[in-house]
Amino acid sequence: MNTNSHVQSLGQPLAVAGGIAALAVLPFLAGNAYLEHLLVLWMLYALLALSLNIVIGYLGELTFGHAAFVGVGAYTSAILSTQLGLPPLLGLPLAGLVAAAFGLVIGYAALRVVGPQFAILTLGFGAILFTITNHWVDLTRGPMGITDIPPMAIGPLAFDSARPTYYLVLALVLATAWLCHALVTSRTGRAFLAVRENAPLAASLGINVFHTKLLGFVAATAIAGIGGAIYAHYIRVITPDIMGVHNVAALIIVVIIGGRGTILGPILGALVYIGLLESLRVAGPLRMVIFAALLTGTVVFLPGGLVSLWQRWRNSHRSETAQPATPAGLPPTGFPSAEGGAK
Amino acid sequence: MVNGMAYVLIATGLTLVFGVLRIVNFAHGEFYMLGAYITYFIGTMLGLDYIAAAAISAVVVAGLGIAANRLIFWPLRRDHEFTILLSSLGLALLIANGGELLFGADPKYVESPFADEILDIGTVTLTQQRVLVFAAAVVALIAVYLFIRYSRFGKMMRATAQNPDGAALTGINIKLVHAYTFALACGLAALSGALVGPTVMIFPTIGNWAVLKGFIVVIMGGLGSVTGALFAGLLLGVIESLGGGYISLGFMEAIGYAMIIAVLLWRPNGLFSTARGLR
Repeated sequence: MNTNSHVQSLGQPLAVAGGIAALAVLPFLAGNAYLEHLLVLWMLYALLALSLNIVIGYLGELTFGHAAFVGVGAYTSAILSTQLGLPPLLGLPLAGLVAAAFGLVIGYAALRVVGPQFAILTLGFGAILFTITNHWVDLTRGPMGITDIPPMAIGPLAFDSARPTYYLVLALVLATAWLCHALVTSRTGRAFLAVRENAPLAASLGINVFHTKLLGFVAATAIAGIGGAIYAHYIRVITPDIMGVHNVAALIIVVIIGGRGTILGPILGALVYIGLLESLRVAGPLRMVIFAALLTGTVVFLPGGLVSLWQRWRNSHRSETAQPATPAGLPPTGFPSAEGGAK
Repeated sequence: MVNGMAYVLIATGLTLVFGVLRIVNFAHGEFYMLGAYITYFIGTMLGLDYIAAAAISAVVVAGLGIAANRLIFWPLRRDHEFTILLSSLGLALLIANGGELLFGADPKYVESPFADEILDIGTVTLTQQRVLVFAAAVVALIAVYLFIRYSRFGKMMRATAQNPDGAALTGINIKLVHAYTFALACGLAALSGALVGPTVMIFPTIGNWAVLKGFIVVIMGGLGSVTGALFAGLLLGVIESLGGGYISLGFMEAIGYAMIIAVLLWRPNGLFSTARGLR
């Protein structure tokens, strides 16, 4: 099992610290409000992609329901703050909890099946949540959406503009990245990877496959819920569209283009996605065509995503200078190839 | 019942592709959409009559299916199912958004001489178009069934479904089977689009809707089972219209999803599955 270690190889602490410092000064380099807004969006997508990556990258299952959990989180916090007047700070953990509760129920039902059936089942659950949000007008105001959501605030510090929100989300992204890293290197994380690579073997080693998957799924949905809540308080308007097919596809594209099963991948993928999304704004519907082409191209030609480019380059570089290194055909992300997955 | 028959046509293609080639094709609904649009364009631009337009569109889309198979699914056939799932999702987004680019996002109507004609059968009043949907679907399904059951090629398909490597060893040209299965599946999807087109508005994202219905039916019927798809499709059509009438139109959509969830929890391999090893 080619357990990947982008983090360790990258993870000379210096590089990580440098990266964090660079991210921390970015808003000051951005210079205008629009770019700062894009930075916030980048971090939000990175956060959501990191959570989706737990399911796609670590558990090796494709879920089409992820945007629904983002929506559940967003709606929970928005409804609590607009209708009950609860401070958004309290809404954030509650959003995570409610999304996790949905994740527990749905995961409990859906994780009994694997592969394409799981994907379709999550698609169905996502569609049900979307339908409910769209039609339960008393609670969610239906297609009109919820407006005038108050911004988040911690004491005197209000997250009502892009820059403070950026730091809030950056902190969450870093926490999630650290969590993912800790998870993969821990015993539980090894269980995740074992389940992904070969579920029957993992079961024979005494790993409870179902519980492991459920744990990963619930963690992912909780993070997605928190991300959704922050989104709601930042944009201050939400509509059921947040759960729509477009958002699901966007999140999947981000994870796959960046590189599934890695920590850097989703963050990088989110940057590419937001960057292209904004720079191609003039192109109209052609945008999604380009994204779809990117997705298909990545799946066919670069299964490891963008981060594997670097790995590839390093491998070829190493083989030139030192020993005749690892065969070039090795999948760099350690994602199960056909042989590894099927047997 | 008529809606159900359209679901059956969509689902038959999906289930064929899955049963024979083990490919879950998310782009299947997009071929349905293309079928409806090509019928529309042939009808309005070339001025051909509706039946000819529908037939041409089925052939054209079958050709596109072969191309999609050749470009994406055939090279990836040995890859992990995850990869295939993702690439078909990419293809679906590509066609749907490409369609929006080409055809525009505004809804269109497919012209059909039968759309406004009313037919009375006993106490039921239907447009001729709906009768045509039903009749054409029945004919197409019987043809497909006979084709798979009795033709030489159908035998090759069934052999491939059971064991691709074994089939290849006995001299069956698997590549050809792949291509023809895709052509058949996409042709059926297009036919369904062309038939249903005149009863509803068409727009570039109808593929999403179609593939969802297709999946619901395929899963209810058991992945890979054509007869399962037939019964499940009719069942879904009936339950949906009953649910839409008695409960609420808004939640009609959710009924289908609730049904697959119930079915998957109760019988993970589908109602009519012969419990073939699905890992």
